[in-house]
Amino acid sequence: MSSPTSQQPACPSARERLWRGVRLGFPIFLGYVPVGAAFGILARSWGFTSAQAVTCSATALAGAGQFIGLSLMYGGASVATVLLATTVVNLRYVLFGATLSPYLRGNAMPTQLWLAFSLTDETFAVNIDDNRRGLADAASMAGVGIVAWTGWVLGTGLGALGGSAIGDPTRWGVDFAMPAMFTALLVAQIEGRRHLAVAALAAVLAVGFMLVLPGKWYIIAASIVAAFVGAVAER
Amino acid sequence: MTDGYIWAVVIGMAVANFAVRIVPVAVLSRLRLPRPVERWLSYIPVSVMAALVVGEVLRPGGDWRSLADNPYLLAAIPTALIYHRWRSFLGATVAGVLFFLAFRALLG
Repeated sequence: MSSPTSQQPACPSARERLWRGVRLGFPIFLGYVPVGAAFGILARSWGFTSAQAVTCSATALAGAGQFIGLSLMYGGASVATVLLATTVVNLRYVLFGATLSPYLRGNAMPTQLWLAFSLTDETFAVNIDDNRRGLADAASMAGVGIVAWTGWVLGTGLGALGGSAIGDPTRWGVDFAMPAMFTALLVAQIEGRRHLAVAALAAVLAVGFMLVLPGKWYIIAASIVAAFVGAVAER
Repeated sequence: MTDGYIWAVVIGMAVANFAVRIVPVAVLSRLRLPRPVERWLSYIPVSVMAALVVGEVLRPGGDWRSLADNPYLLAAIPTALIYHRWRSFLGATVAGVLFFLAFRALLG
């Protein structure tokens, strides 16, 4: 190519694919800022410094796991108990990682490390959908992770430093940003009757498991059973 | 809470959360999974999404909401329709938040 700057490349560059991921993950950012702020406010009021709160969000990126850890710490639990609880809460990432792993095969080690580190409910949902359409690659998935991580850390920092000055972010309806995104992702996943049936089964099972299991275990339990029924019915 | 205790938890959480994420990726991205397992995993995303939506609209923030008086549940319906029609995640998310605000205002 004689003048690469003036011509549109046939294949988007890594930077363009990264930006595509950032745009794709923007709804996650909108959802994470207020929840991260809530963590920052809570952590500060329970004895964390701002630096500790932000470090925790930046290195754990654990959502519910962080909140549960915080409440156990407040209750005087030992370090081991807190770590066990946060690990158990986030065991669903084992399932997510297994589901994503075929798409991660063949990527460089630092890329795999980042994609694994930035794996959350939301980044998993966005990336698995994008992979299914054949659009995702390592750069776009990294972009989704970057924008999600930025939202979580920025939110925590705002909450820890700004605290009460921010007021209640829920008055802007941001608490529906994540449910709205999951709803759209669910619709995107349903291709054909079998998927619709599996989704309906998972929904019913989720309600049942929510009544009997603590925390977020209903997600794992409902998914394992509903996907099993779908796989058996396919044979 | 002492400073040392908090830092021990912060560092431990970073290690624990990275471990649960990296182990399946590191192990499974090197193996070819058996066909039945791959078929089972292919239904995991739609199942996870359905379970997540149910959790988020029926028990937002960990508290059960009634079916009749629930702006989360009501707003999820136009959100799904908007995504189905226009296929835009950002558009559906923004529209969903606006519907949520409207339903929350209407329900008081």
